[in-house]
Amino acid sequence: MFLLAASYYFYINIKPVYALLLAGVTLTTYLFTNLIAKARSDRSKSLLLTGAVVLTLLPLFFFKYFNFVNEGIFTLLNYTGLHLSLPHLSLLLPVGVSFYTFMALGYTIDVYNEEIEAEKNFGIVALFLSFFPVVMSGPIERAPNMFQQFKGKLQFNYEMVVGGLKLMLWGYFMKLALADRLSIYIDAVFKNADQHVGSSLLLATLMQPIRVYGDLGGYSLIAIGCAKVMGINVIPNFNRPFFATTMSEFWRRWHISLIKWLTDYVYTPLSFAFRRYGVWGIVIALNLTFIISGAWHGAAFNFLVWGFIQGLALSVEMLTRKNKDAFEDRFNLRKRWWYILFGCVFTYLLFAFSLSFGGDAATVPEVLHIFKRIFTDSVHMPYKDGDTMLYGFLAFSIVFLKDFMEEYYPGRVLLFNNKNNTVRWLSYYCVIFLIFYLGIFSGEQFVYFQF
Amino acid sequence: MNRSLVTEKLTAIFRTVFNDEGIELRDDLTANEVANWDSLTHMLMIGEVEKEFSIKFKLKELGKLEDVKSLIDLIEHKMNS
Repeated sequence: MFLLAASYYFYINIKPVYALLLAGVTLTTYLFTNLIAKARSDRSKSLLLTGAVVLTLLPLFFFKYFNFVNEGIFTLLNYTGLHLSLPHLSLLLPVGVSFYTFMALGYTIDVYNEEIEAEKNFGIVALFLSFFPVVMSGPIERAPNMFQQFKGKLQFNYEMVVGGLKLMLWGYFMKLALADRLSIYIDAVFKNADQHVGSSLLLATLMQPIRVYGDLGGYSLIAIGCAKVMGINVIPNFNRPFFATTMSEFWRRWHISLIKWLTDYVYTPLSFAFRRYGVWGIVIALNLTFIISGAWHGAAFNFLVWGFIQGLALSVEMLTRKNKDAFEDRFNLRKRWWYILFGCVFTYLLFAFSLSFGGDAATVPEVLHIFKRIFTDSVHMPYKDGDTMLYGFLAFSIVFLKDFMEEYYPGRVLLFNNKNNTVRWLSYYCVIFLIFYLGIFSGEQFVYFQF
Repeated sequence: MNRSLVTEKLTAIFRTVFNDEGIELRDDLTANEVANWDSLTHMLMIGEVEKEFSIKFKLKELGKLEDVKSLIDLIEHKMNS
C-alpha cells in the first residue's frame, strides 16, 4: 500500500493529469483480465482479449501517432484534391506510457494464455503498473515476477539495500560520466552536421551506441538498484552488449527486457502464424517484429529503416548459420581471440551505423548524406573538443575495463564486492569522486523518457 | 505410434533443425542445453513436428512447454485426440 501511494505520488508530481491515464490503463487491465479469466468459451476469451489490447493501446497510439497519421492521411488526401485537415496537436507524450502499456498488455496476454491467474487484488495490479523505479523507462517487467514479490512481506534486507545502492552508484557513473559526456560531442557534431568533416561524423557515429548504453544502461541500473533497495528484484536490461560477436547475440544482451517482451508478444505469435513457410516465415516474423519495434521508437520513416536493418541482419545470420558453424568448426575459430575480436568489432560497427537511423534528428536522406561524407571526407582530423574527448575516453575506458573483466575473467578482480573493507570502500569513494570529476550536472534527460 | 517411435522421429527433427548430429533427447532436456535452440529455430522445429506427425498446435499450448517431455506428451495427446 505504501509503495503504491509512493508510486502515484511520484507520478503525480511529474504531471498530475497523466496519472489519470495510468489509472485508466490499470482499471482496464484489471477488469479485462478478470473477465477473461471468468469467460467460459474460447471465443469470448478472444473477444475480450482483443478489446483489452485495443483499449490499452489507445492512449499510446493517440499520443504517439496522432500527428503522424493525421498529417500523413491529409497529405495524401491533398494529392487527391481533398483539402481537409485536423489541427496539429502539440502533445507531450505522458512519461512512461509505453512502458506501462507494454507491461499491461503482457500481463493481459499472460492471463489469456493461462500462464498466470487474473489478480483479484486491485492494489497489486495498480502497483505493478505504477511501480515508480520502473514506470518511467523500464525495465519492462512481467506480472509473474512482480506479483509474487509484491504479495510477499517487504522487509529490510541489509544485503539487498547495499547491493541496490552499488548498482545505483554504477548507474549514475554510466549516465553522468559516460553518456552525458559523450552527448556533448555527439550533439555538437550532429546538430551542425554540414559544418563538420567526415571524420568527426564518423567519430560521433561510433560514439552513439556507447552513449545509449551509458544512458539507458545506466538508467536501468539506477531503476533496478532503487527497486532492490526496497527489496524488489527487477529483471536486468543489459549484459555487456559490446562483447556480442553476432547481431543475434547482441540482441540477447541489449535492452533485454524490451526484446524479451517483443519476442514473447509480437515475434512468437507472428512466427507461429507464418510457421508453414519454414525459414522464410521466420524471416518475415523477424523483420515485422523489428519494424514494429522501430515504429515504437519513433513515428518516422527513418525508424522503420532502423528496424528493417536489424531484421535483415538477423535474417542473414539465421540463413547462413549452418555454413558459418561448419566454417568455424573446420578452422577451429570459435576460441581464437582475433576471431572473437573481429566478431565484436563487426557487430559494433553494424549497430553503430544502423543507430544513425534510430534518432529523431536526421531523416533517411540526411543519414545517407552523413554516410557519404564519412566515406569520402574522412582524411581531415576530426573536430577536437579536448576536455570532452579526454574525460569521455576516461569514463569509457573504466566502463569497458569493468565489462571486459566481468565478461572474460568473472570473479577475478572484485572491487565493489571485495571481501576486504578497505578495498570496497575505496572503490565506492573512487567512483563517487569520478562521478563528480568526470560527470556532467546540467540536468540532461534520460533518452528513453521520451518513449 | 508408441512413445519411443515419437522420440526417434523427434530426435531426427532436432538433429536437422538444430544442426547437431550428436543431440540425444532426454525428458528433462531444455532449450538452454542445446546450442542452436533459440526463439528463431524453435518455431522451425515446431513447424517440422506438425508436418511429421500431421498435427496442429495452438499457440497457447506452445507457451506451456517446459522441456522435451512436455513436448512429447503434447504430441502424443494431439495424435490420440
